[in-house]
Parts: sequence; structure tokens; C-alpha cells
Amino acid sequence: MNAHADMSDTDVLSAARESLSGMPVASPPDVETIMARGRARRYRRRLVPGMTGTVAVAAGATLAVTTLAPARHQATPQAGRRPAAHLAAWTVTKLAGGDISVTIRELKDPAGLQGALRTDGIPASVTFAGQLNPACRPYPGGTIPWPPQPPTPLLRQVFPKPDGLLPPSPHRSRGWSQAPGHGSPPPASPHPGQTVIVIAPSALPGQAGVQIAATYGARWIGPVRVVYASPQCTGR
Amino acid sequence: MSNERAEFTDFFRTSWEPCLRAVLAIVGSPQLAEDQVAEAFVRAWASWRKVRRHPAPRAWIVRTALNAGASWWRQRSRELPLADHDLTARGSPGEELDASLLTALRHLSPRQREVIALRIFLDLDTDTIASQLGIEAGTVRMHLSRGVMALRRELTATNDHGG
Repeated sequence: MNAHADMSDTDVLSAARESLSGMPVASPPDVETIMARGRARRYRRRLVPGMTGTVAVAAGATLAVTTLAPARHQATPQAGRRPAAHLAAWTVTKLAGGDISVTIRELKDPAGLQGALRTDGIPASVTFAGQLNPACRPYPGGTIPWPPQPPTPLLRQVFPKPDGLLPPSPHRSRGWSQAPGHGSPPPASPHPGQTVIVIAPSALPGQAGVQIAATYGARWIGPVRVVYASPQCTGR
Repeated sequence: MSNERAEFTDFFRTSWEPCLRAVLAIVGSPQLAEDQVAEAFVRAWASWRKVRRHPAPRAWIVRTALNAGASWWRQRSRELPLADHDLTARGSPGEELDASLLTALRHLSPRQREVIALRIFLDLDTDTIASQLGIEAGTVRMHLSRGVMALRRELTATNDHGG
């Protein structure tokens, strides 16, 4: 017998509150990052006709890039609840196994995308300015040539169904290509006009990041290269 | 807009911890709880003009966090992880009690956990919990009663063992 056995319901709840409120929990993330993601979420509700311009992404992770595969369904839960007319400009989704999938449909709100990636643990720099971030330095051996054959252990790229502009790739399989032992496939094949980037943070060596430049007019995303992570380039 | 930013920032700073504790008590995994609560605040800012008028915005955060997590896991055909390794490692008597209480909560149904968490961490009354969860007040009282019973059992057992 002890004191707790005779406690009223209110006392039990108070005791539980007192005990559990002392447990250490994570500090809140940066509110600016939260708000940036919130803004991006608003933008994602808009109609997205397709990609134009150039994208540059530097991310602290290994990744695969896919462009322009036919889609069977929408990749993300947020967008999936909405009709096609309200597809997001981009979405960031955590995949099983820790990979991060980025689907880009329109070059809008680079700060929001950058914030979303950094919140998910990817030291990323995103610009839609048509040029690479000059602060990013190439990581030795990390540049993927064009055409990207073969995929390196650090970077994987796929360029499926680019309307006949590109030759068939031995690294493609049903619209996707994966380097052995790395990451997981995106949750769904992208729609035409989309770019899907799969980032596998666990496969990247320390102090390294990845930089991507994309030009929509050429219907492909590239070049893609591993870069040194730095506060100026990848945010940390 | 700046007023809204300041308002949201204040709400975020004062609500993060209780909301996180509530979600943690329900889902069991600290990492998962953190991710889901962060996502809920993202959605709150995206719809701030609606959320700020909500009668219980913290409850909105908790419900949204749980819904976000359910969607995420349902998409992958997996269950929420509630294994023991997700809980705080046992050490001091206080930590042992915390772990015992979380274990007791884990053995409750998800709805009972929600009711208990909303009462403990957000201090919501029965009617507010009922309206937030879309259930009858009587059902809330029933869940509370069973939850309290489980918590009392753990408090008693821990006190007996701890001397």
C-alpha cells in the first residue's frame, strides 16, 4: 500500500503531468524555418503548369535525379489530397529508410525549399537564379559527367523519357535508376514536367554536399556534383 | 502580416513543448513526435488565419500532428513504432517513473492515449476534448477513467518498487 493507491483521479493526472513534464524533449526548431515551410505549403496549393528557368540545389546528401517520367499518381500526401489543378510547386517527402524525396514542378520559393530540406537534416542551398552557388566547391571525384554514365556511389541520376532527346540508359529501369545499395525509390513516378530528386543522407561522406543545376529548356536537370559542405554553400 | 508573424511566433514558442509532450505520449517515439509536431506547426502557419481563431489551437496542433503521422505511416503500410527502445532509458527513480508512465500509456488504446494526453499536457476540459476528438463527453470520461486507472497502477507499482 502506498500513497498513490488512494489518490483521486485528479491527483493521479497531476502526478503524471508533473512526472512527464520533467522529461527532456527536443528544443523547438527555428520558427523562421517553420514559417518558410508554411509559406511553401501555401504556394504548393497553386496550379503548377511546369518548370521554367534554372534550378541549383546543393544538398548534403547522396541523391538520384529523375526527370519527366510518366506518372501514375501523386507522390506526396499533401498534394495527393488535392486535385491536379492544385499541385504544389515542390514537395519534400521523407521516404522509408531515411531518404528524402524532392519533387519539383515549378521553380518557385527557393527559400522555402531550402528551409524544408534543412529542417529535414539536409544541409542544402537552393537557388532558382540560373547559376550555381559560387561558394560551393566541387568535391573530388564527385562530378557526374553528361551523359551520367556510370552513376557514382555518391550520386545517382536518371533521365527517363526525355521525349527522345536522350539516348537510352543502361541505368534506367521502368523510368527509374538506382545505384546498388543506396536509398529507396521515390514514392511514385513523377508526372511529365516534374523533377524528382532522391537524397540519401546516410550515403554521403562527411563534409560533403551535392550541387545540382537544372535548365528546364533542355528538359533535364544537371550538372549534378558533390561539393564540400560549408556554411556559405550548404548552410553548415 | 507582421502582427500575424509575432502572434504565430509567440504561439509557437509557448506551445511547442506541451504539444510535443502530448504527441510523444501518444506516439511513443521522440523523433516521430518531433517531426509530426513540426509539420503541424508548418501547417498551422500555412493556415494561420483559420488556426488563430480555433477555440483550442494547441489541440489543433496535436490533432494535425497525429493526422500527419497517420498519413505518413499509412502511406508506407506501417504501424506507429511504440517499442520500448523509443522510450527514455531507465536510470534515476524519476526517469524510471516516466518510462513506467509512458509504458502504461502505451498499453492504452490510441483514443484513450489521446484523451489522457490532451488532459495532462494541454489541460483541456472534458467538453473541449470531446469536441476536438468528435466524440461524446461520456466517452471522454470513460477513456479518462480507464487511463487514470492504468496510470494509478503504474504510479503505485513504481512507488512500491522504489521504496
